[in-house]
Amino acid sequence: MDALALFGVFLKASALSLGGLSSLPLLRADLVAPGIATDDQVVQAIAIGRISTGPNGLYIVSLGYLVGGIAGATMALAAASIPPLVIVPITAAGRRWMLTTPVAGLVRGVALATAGLLAATGIGIVTATGAPSWWQLALAAMAVVLTYRGTVHPALVIAIGAAAGMALGR
Amino acid sequence: MSAREFGEAWALSQLSPGIHLVALAGLIGRRAAGWRGVIAAVAGMMIPAAAITVALTAGYEVIAASSLARAALAGVAPVTGGMTIATAALLVRASVRHGRAHAAADVAVCLGSLLASVFLGVPTLGAIGAGAAIGALALGRKPPTSRESSVG
Repeated sequence: MDALALFGVFLKASALSLGGLSSLPLLRADLVAPGIATDDQVVQAIAIGRISTGPNGLYIVSLGYLVGGIAGATMALAAASIPPLVIVPITAAGRRWMLTTPVAGLVRGVALATAGLLAATGIGIVTATGAPSWWQLALAAMAVVLTYRGTVHPALVIAIGAAAGMALGR
Repeated sequence: MSAREFGEAWALSQLSPGIHLVALAGLIGRRAAGWRGVIAAVAGMMIPAAAITVALTAGYEVIAASSLARAALAGVAPVTGGMTIATAALLVRASVRHGRAHAAADVAVCLGSLLASVFLGVPTLGAIGAGAAIGALALGRKPPTSRESSVG
């Protein structure tokens, strides 16, 4: 996939999502399903995005690098940076309009639909190998609880997963 | 920038597509120094973090093929899946309105999207479009809860 086409995929995912990780269902559909990226690369990108500094949504820069090297990472960075900025001129032109009932409803509807898709994507990642073993299901459950509560740093949660994988996954 | 202005910028950033923190940086940058401020704020937030992300990814690629890294991935994969499910739950918590009827309608949209994706093979864009249409027509009647999420 050439860099411009990759930019288009990342831009679409960024422009049609709400919040950092919400672009994941669209990216998985556009990159993993056609065989451009693998689920392993998606997992690596999410893990690195969580460990790295900056917003969680920067996992797409890691995914861009894995798929297209430095050019892919640059395309992903540009695609992640542009769509959120539409709020700046829109806010300048009509702040009152942004806070109307239909706009609030539209944003809520997109957020809730995206949440359902994200949950489906998460289930898809957990079951990507076919039949996950008991310890993998236990790790997934632990990650759900710890991430939802937000009291443990994501890097530590990923480190627990890596350690368990090294101990039990060979 | 006053606390009230920051609060309003935060609320507006939550309505933006993509990464909300980029929108927040853009709004703060414009308030501080116009369009040059937007570029400076977003570049300052994104470029160093992206460089660190690329360096970590490149570093990981060096060891990715080793048997130990492959074994670790077998544990990291379910963890990232679990984190994604938790992010979905946090998004629901931040979006669902107060009141039993409103909350039930909101959760139904989320579950409908999940089930349509898993069992009916509805395309991702179709589910998002349906959510937008249902939301604009029926889910706007009450302000969102004030609980914040860490969905980025």
